[in-house]
Amino acid sequence: MHIPDGYLSPATCAVAYAAALPTVAVAAKRVQRTVKTRNVPTLAMLAAVSFLVMMFNIPIPDGTTAHAVGAVIIAIVLGPWAAVIAVSVALVFQALLFGDGGVLSYGVNVLNMAIILPFVGYGVYRLVAGGSMLTSSRRVVAAFIGGYVGINAAALATAIELGIQPDLFHNAAGAPLYSPYHLSQTIPAMMLAHLLVAGVVEGIMTAGTVAYLQRANLPLLQTNHAGVRVNDSDVTTPPKRGVRPAVVALGAVGLMIVLTPLGLLAPGGAFGEDAPEDLNLGNLGLSSVPSGMARYTGFWNHALFSGYDFSGNNHPWIGYILSAVVGIAVIGLVIFVLTWILKRVAGGQPDEVDLRESVDVSDGSVSR
Amino acid sequence: MTITAPDTAAPVEPVTPAWLLQGDVAMCPCGCIGKRKKGSFVEKTLDGSAGLMRQVMFGQDIADQPGLLQRIDPRLKLASLFVLLFAVALVRNIAVLLIAYVLTVILASASKIPAAFFIKRVWLFIPIFTGIVVIPATLSIITPGDVVLELWTWHGEPQGFTSQGLTAAALIVTRVALSISLVVLLTLTTPWVRLLAAMRGLGVPRVFVLIVGMAYRYIFLLLGSVTDMYQARKARTVGAVKHDGAARGFVTATAGAILGKSHTLSEEVHQAMTARGYRGDAKTLQQFALTRTDFVYAALVVIVAVAIVLGDYSLGR
Repeated sequence: MHIPDGYLSPATCAVAYAAALPTVAVAAKRVQRTVKTRNVPTLAMLAAVSFLVMMFNIPIPDGTTAHAVGAVIIAIVLGPWAAVIAVSVALVFQALLFGDGGVLSYGVNVLNMAIILPFVGYGVYRLVAGGSMLTSSRRVVAAFIGGYVGINAAALATAIELGIQPDLFHNAAGAPLYSPYHLSQTIPAMMLAHLLVAGVVEGIMTAGTVAYLQRANLPLLQTNHAGVRVNDSDVTTPPKRGVRPAVVALGAVGLMIVLTPLGLLAPGGAFGEDAPEDLNLGNLGLSSVPSGMARYTGFWNHALFSGYDFSGNNHPWIGYILSAVVGIAVIGLVIFVLTWILKRVAGGQPDEVDLRESVDVSDGSVSR
Repeated sequence: MTITAPDTAAPVEPVTPAWLLQGDVAMCPCGCIGKRKKGSFVEKTLDGSAGLMRQVMFGQDIADQPGLLQRIDPRLKLASLFVLLFAVALVRNIAVLLIAYVLTVILASASKIPAAFFIKRVWLFIPIFTGIVVIPATLSIITPGDVVLELWTWHGEPQGFTSQGLTAAALIVTRVALSISLVVLLTLTTPWVRLLAAMRGLGVPRVFVLIVGMAYRYIFLLLGSVTDMYQARKARTVGAVKHDGAARGFVTATAGAILGKSHTLSEEVHQAMTARGYRGDAKTLQQFALTRTDFVYAALVVIVAVAIVLGDYSLGR
């Protein structure tokens, strides 16, 4: 999944850097707030662990081995933000010292393996684990599914990044300039390998480690599971975590940004969205545009970006992208407002207490 | 068993046993010599960690030698890496890429990197792997275009290698090799500590650099723990290692143990740091000063980058 330099256009790399660097910066801030001056040693160790976990060969049934990324297990043990930093640093080593993954494509690799992988994996883990006890086997299953889904999400992102290259970047004769495979080839190739092998390996790694920690090092597992009951005799009441509108809106916006390039590649037009003059009336058995349709066609003609453009189609690319950015911002704002209203209506004051602040128990050796 | 002396008095050429002369298949990272035997997960992990140490130590040897690139300010080298990688990524002409690649080999020789080692290090394994992966893309079924070598026909249309597909494959393989050459040139000629300082000098946040530096230090400590665990496992295994549930349990328990160990260690390291006056920010002793050589180098890098891009335009894209 490590994309080397040369597979992706500089434009793709720049976009990925633009998305990855702020996320890593936010992650550094978030983690700093939790661990204070401990951040440097803690994160350094985690990065070292992340690097080593990528070296572990997991035995798989046919007698061969495969390796896991291990981002989800770090996200489960110390939170997804810590995983972002740990995997990003491990990727620095791999890119600079071992030539695994490129330097220009570092942003892309961070996006796939250090951001998408831990967040998706951790989200799925939280969803499946629900309110189960910390020592329950449901958490092991949740960890497996989290690892499996996380790495497949990252693989899908990689496949999309590689697959959009030939359509976006080719020379006058039509020769692809970067990775030559189209989406219809990269997605099946990546997904087949990851759904069948790599996903299972990542799942085994994540689930096995959670099971081991349940047996052998419960305090470490508790670090990121504040308020989760350990077993039946534990009477801790889980704190309620409120929905945060900004997070929901940002999540939706992030998803849309990731999916934006797909619109450029969709062939043809969408069904039922033609302008009346584009209709093939003969095919429909009509002699003229229906009168109601004709009347309401020109009802609204004050669109800001008519036809996803603003310059009379002089710069179709810039127009399309700008339309996308504005559209995303507007939808993000709408989701933010809606979530905020829903939260107010659903009752209770906005809950701004961050769970992570209260987490301070590590392995019992120090309490600051 | 007894060893009998040779009957004849004439001196006999010492015969090296054949098994000693045989190339070890495991020495070839791509498994291209003979057939590769499937190693057990224990051996693979042990080999991997030994290879890691070897690679890092040998890399440091070259970085300490007096060569051309070793004299250049590391900040400048890091910045020029990005400039050159970007220029290379823009190129669409294979001739330009090949000329630039030859330049990197010359630079490597001038920096006391053995050319054979440099070429091997670059081409194994990613460019070769890329070359294999893009073979199907040279066919008209994936990259449609002008068929230059017809292999079969499909509904009367000739199908086979297309000039577009071959161009694309050549472009990507040379560009990948050239990009890796540039990165390898930097990392082989710059000690890791100075590379970190260079990151700091170029505005990478201090905390991030500190984390990278410390993580690098502790990789080797934790690697030692992992190696110990695996060696102990190997020592108490009789017969072939099975790849079963117990094996997977061992690997994941190792990962869990390393997580726990690192967590405890980070607490201890933090206490030690605080005891020595650490308050959350780091100070570096080494100050870099740009010399005249550096300015000449910077100018050269800019000229080369511009030449690459302009050459690409003038030679046809």
